[in-house]
Amino acid sequence: MSTNATPAVEIHESGDSAVRVVAVSADPERNWDTVHRLAGWLDTCDAEGLHGAVPTYDSVLVEFDPAVVSAKQLRAYVLLGLRQLGLRQLDLAGSSARGPLEFEVPVAYGGDFGPDLEKVAEQQGITVAEVIALHSAKSYTIRCMGAPAGSPMMDGPDFPLPVPRLKDPRLSVPAGAIAVAGRQAVIAPAVAPGGWCVIGQTPLTVLDLGRDPLVPYRPGDTLRFRPISHEEFNDYVGSHLEALNPADLHPEVAL
Amino acid sequence: MNGRIVVEQPGNSVVTDLGRFRGPRFGLPVNGALDQFSARAANILAGNEDNAPLLEVTALDFRMRADQDFLIAVTGAPLTLTVGGREQPQWEPVSVRAGEAVAIRGIHTGLRAYLAIHGSVDAPLLMGSCAPDTVIGFGLKLGEGTVLGIQRSVAPLRQPYFDIPLFRLGLERPVMGSELVVDVTDGPDVAEFGDSADLLFASGYTVSGRSNHIGLRLGGELPERLSNAEVLSRGVPVGAVEVPNREELLVLHRGRGVTAGYPVLAVATSLGLHVLAQARPGDVVRFRKTTVAEATLAYRASMRQLESLRTTVNTVFKLLGVGDEPGWRELPPALAI
Repeated sequence: MSTNATPAVEIHESGDSAVRVVAVSADPERNWDTVHRLAGWLDTCDAEGLHGAVPTYDSVLVEFDPAVVSAKQLRAYVLLGLRQLGLRQLDLAGSSARGPLEFEVPVAYGGDFGPDLEKVAEQQGITVAEVIALHSAKSYTIRCMGAPAGSPMMDGPDFPLPVPRLKDPRLSVPAGAIAVAGRQAVIAPAVAPGGWCVIGQTPLTVLDLGRDPLVPYRPGDTLRFRPISHEEFNDYVGSHLEALNPADLHPEVAL
Repeated sequence: MNGRIVVEQPGNSVVTDLGRFRGPRFGLPVNGALDQFSARAANILAGNEDNAPLLEVTALDFRMRADQDFLIAVTGAPLTLTVGGREQPQWEPVSVRAGEAVAIRGIHTGLRAYLAIHGSVDAPLLMGSCAPDTVIGFGLKLGEGTVLGIQRSVAPLRQPYFDIPLFRLGLERPVMGSELVVDVTDGPDVAEFGDSADLLFASGYTVSGRSNHIGLRLGGELPERLSNAEVLSRGVPVGAVEVPNREELLVLHRGRGVTAGYPVLAVATSLGLHVLAQARPGDVVRFRKTTVAEATLAYRASMRQLESLRTTVNTVFKLLGVGDEPGWRELPPALAI
């Protein structure tokens, strides 16, 4: 993983208050690593006028106050960060406060909990049982925090085909909805409109406004889905999503 | 010393500030006052920090009453402001006596008014901001009978000989109207729209009634994307102009979901977003192309206007003995990360 080269990126203007930095190496894994490291660096560098960074898959949106810093200055700043990342990858271990956490998410599939389960099976040309088996088969890495409200965005499951979005997005999807679209999977932490196919629901509380952070996971953590019966659903209601492993505060290898 | 404001007619009003700047990193939109210029101006005119909690009153009439003397400033869209039944000016500090009703009526030509109270009001914070987040259900939406705590009392300031307005601070007010011009810069994905990108500047767009703090929906001639390839979810800036379907243009505002998978055709400037915050359904928006460098200069010029207003207000308030100890509550700087 270590290389002395400054990661290859493109920096695009995105208005007077943001720039989009895109990692453009041929390796998606490396690109993800680059943008999340850059976001981590920007988060801890205390630059005046910098609001924060939003990393996703191959890009990071860097937001700033144009009264304090210009897009041009921000660009130079990003390049400095990238150079430091290229030269000092291992030193940055300290910038990550903890190692990756693991989560297990109980899911009631189908029925009222997952109204699109059968549609997805039909579209994929596989059985409902196979959709559930594929969805709960793998351990997912949380790639980024998406909308709404810190949704954990993940790659997969290993379905034969990408899943099309709903033609008519729902006005309201319940908290805990387990959804798929394209080649991505997600949990909805809060009630929100949504255009993804909902195949199940977790009874666990994911988002808690009384906690800091509001959601227990962050990019780099891993997550697994475990099927439960519809009857078991109520047994979990009121419980929070918690990590299986305690946070390792001194990781040897940082994200 | 602590007083209470009782909301008698809430209309559509919330307590907000300039936004949750740490939020986007965690998937929460920045939110906060949509017309940031008017919100800052109201707080400055009330002798507050720019980022102090204040009231955002959208479209509908509003009325409140306090149990002690205080000082307010109302900015934003044109409206009728009365205090104890007497009409008072907008965009100036206004003294209110205990028991007098403060009423905002007939908001017109724009959509949102800002009411700042000297010393600010108490509001719950999430990640350092009181800005409501409708998606996760956080924030202080005002209802009939809502009680707001106020920290400071200000003895009535009146011109000693006639009961006429004391202040003429003369801030240049933002232009409002039913035909709005919004500056935008090229978006990071403008190339995906080919020549059709120029359609954005060819004719006006009508603001749909389905617009809100998340985004404005605009009807008109739509630029068209050349390909249908799926786009990886990316962080999208506030102000992003997208074409999510064949019916409408979408301009994201401060309540926008932080990530999305639509290409960004253009981005409204910070000043353009203030203009859009005041757009009413049926208004016509024309987009005008600018550069990031020019947009930054324009934004800084408007911030300088507010700085000079602050200097004036501070001088006047000092002469009048407003805002001195005791009871001066320190607030976090406006732009803390």
